[in-house]
Amino acid sequence: MKRIYVIEDLCNGCRLCETFCSSLPQGVFSGQPERICVIKVPGEEKDIPLVHCDGRCVRSIFDDGRPTCVGLCPTGSLYYAEHKTAVEARHLYEAARKEHSIFKFIAPWKWPFPWRRPGEEKARSPMDELV
Amino acid sequence: MKIRSNSDQRILRVNLSDRRISTETLPREWTSTYLGCRGVNARLLYDEVKKGTDPFGEENTLYIGTGPMDGLPVGMGRLSIACKSPRGTVAEGSAGGFFGPELRRAGYDYVAISGKSENPVYLSIEDDKVEIRDAGHLWGLTTYETDAALRRDIPDPDTQLRYIGPAAENLVHASVIMGNLNSCGGRAGCGEVMGSKKLKAIAVRGSGGIKPHDYDAFVEAYKVFRQRVDIRTSRDMWSPVWTTYGAPVLARLFTDIGNLMTRNAAEMSWDYDKATAIGCENFLDNYAYKSKSCFCCPTPSCQKLYSIPSGKYRGFKGGNYWAGQPITFGSIIDNGSIDLLLVLSGLCNQFGLDIFHIGFTLSWAMECFENGLITTADTDGIEMRFGAFDEDALVDLMGKTARREGFGELLAMGCSEAAKIIGKGSDKYCLTVKGQELEAIAERNLLMVALGVAVSEVGPDHTRWYPPYPCNPSLISREELQSLGIDLDLKLAFDTRNPEEKGKLLRWFTISRAIVESMPSCVFLVRDTLGFDMRPWWKLFISATGVELSYEEFIKSGERLMNLDRLFNVREGFGRKDDRVPYRMSHEDVLNFGYKKIDDTVLNKMLDEYYTANGWDLNTTVPSKEKLHELGIHDVRHELNTNGVEAGS
Repeated sequence: MKRIYVIEDLCNGCRLCETFCSSLPQGVFSGQPERICVIKVPGEEKDIPLVHCDGRCVRSIFDDGRPTCVGLCPTGSLYYAEHKTAVEARHLYEAARKEHSIFKFIAPWKWPFPWRRPGEEKARSPMDELV
Repeated sequence: MKIRSNSDQRILRVNLSDRRISTETLPREWTSTYLGCRGVNARLLYDEVKKGTDPFGEENTLYIGTGPMDGLPVGMGRLSIACKSPRGTVAEGSAGGFFGPELRRAGYDYVAISGKSENPVYLSIEDDKVEIRDAGHLWGLTTYETDAALRRDIPDPDTQLRYIGPAAENLVHASVIMGNLNSCGGRAGCGEVMGSKKLKAIAVRGSGGIKPHDYDAFVEAYKVFRQRVDIRTSRDMWSPVWTTYGAPVLARLFTDIGNLMTRNAAEMSWDYDKATAIGCENFLDNYAYKSKSCFCCPTPSCQKLYSIPSGKYRGFKGGNYWAGQPITFGSIIDNGSIDLLLVLSGLCNQFGLDIFHIGFTLSWAMECFENGLITTADTDGIEMRFGAFDEDALVDLMGKTARREGFGELLAMGCSEAAKIIGKGSDKYCLTVKGQELEAIAERNLLMVALGVAVSEVGPDHTRWYPPYPCNPSLISREELQSLGIDLDLKLAFDTRNPEEKGKLLRWFTISRAIVESMPSCVFLVRDTLGFDMRPWWKLFISATGVELSYEEFIKSGERLMNLDRLFNVREGFGRKDDRVPYRMSHEDVLNFGYKKIDDTVLNKMLDEYYTANGWDLNTTVPSKEKLHELGIHDVRHELNTNGVEAGS
């Protein structure tokens, strides 16, 4: 079963997920959704998405039925996957952020250009499966 | 939950002299005439702040404006902050963050603050409950300390704050209004005016929601907009680079192509190793640790928090490293230490100082010092030499400037005023226009920048015609441009050292960015074809507001705003004589790159093209009667005439 996973370190606190989510039931952008919220810690040091949702939107804005929050998340802090894929993705992220500084701020699967891991001969193509 | 429709806009009026608080609703047609945010602020300012108003007097009003898109995922939390500048011009600045959406959720689109308080106060807004509260315990605190103290007073972590630091309290030149610790705006004079009113902060919390007029149409328009700005789908090369690696990526690029203002812009390229040391790779690898965002921004990492990992500044934390700092605290003073650069930049945020004011005034002082115009007797004993200064003394100068102590008193005046005190021809080293310091963009090989800096009503501000660098002209054909009503030869317009077509290009950029800032949204999202094809913006606006507004009228609203800004300035006596570039740019060639100075012939050619395209008088720059009529703001003619300014014929 697919579900929404969170990488807290990648959340930049934009609130796009909770703002759009709040609008899905009644078309009102309130920032008070029931299914996801972003907790902001004073001092700007932490932004923490809290998810209480199975990923099935009231109405997804995407034709392919992706959760709206996942599809809109600009950094890849939210991703939607089966458990096994989610674990692999998390390993990839943790390794990639040590190898390339850019992945401290954006998930590898959100990066639009080919990139290469140390020791690998071939560059990885941009990844779409978790976007 | 209170649900707000998007067709009405409300002002909260606060008079700090008599503590009167009231609200009013703007005429509904203003949403189609001025859109909102910067557009409405411009009209309010023109109508309510009369000619000759003392910038630090009770009659000067500080407007903090949002707009119909704020609170929706397109507004990016933008605010327009406007007032009359201490330099006499219109002062307007845009700031991001989360304050705007919270203000709208509280039920207000604008806060208009007039009068002056005798004692320090802050304004607390919690839906309908609006209070002026004592801020005696906050006065004198840095912005970081103020944020922490207010969060103790108001425990709700989602309360949004805007505040000033010691610099604005002491009316230091170009001081800014801060929020979310590292987000600033209002360098054209808004911070000083807020300080003069003894208003330390504004806190807002709202519980409402905002309903677009046609939700489904809005979502469809959003998808088109998102496709143009998303780093995975945008055709604009800057989108992924700018919003992940960050603006300091320009440091090395600039030094290669002669764009990096070095040693007070006497040179235009820098030591490559120094440019590398302060560049984005070093910053990302060793300093940046967390990305931050404004409200609902679709880009991943425009802002970053940083911490200095080692050395004498170990543990110093700050936020945001933009394109400005590599110049203002790097090449312009010849500092190759990224540690020092980040400390100076971080202290500017804490004291509420403007980085451009500080950087360009320091570099002016260094050039004056090296040429013997000032000595250690003027500088509290500091050897102000490019690349050979005492780091700790420079760090101390930040606080001294904010508090106007010793040598800091001179720096606090800003470059132009300081040069008047020093005399001896030191004004030749000032990189200022209309009393305001330049930003970090070269002029002599980017002639549209030179023109933009010269004519900008608020002083140098590249966000009013962003981006300052040529876009890829192949993104949009001449035929497509013409079908959109834009008569531009882009290849000629983007020929950076040819004065031809620059007036028309700048005119379009100014109009279109005025629209973006009036919806509001962020000009850094003017990517792909969004800078020319404004239809996605238009569809977002009409679906969100429900106003009946043709595309042509939508474009005209930007032109209306541009004219209102100009009208405010001409009423105050500004005109062609003030649309200049700094002395150095007009008198010195860039020898090692072959860039020529911007002499009068070149500047006048561009000015003539710009004024003519706008329908402005070539000498006074007053908009013609026909232009005012066309824009539907002919009512300002009477106002102009009674103030001794004739509308152009």
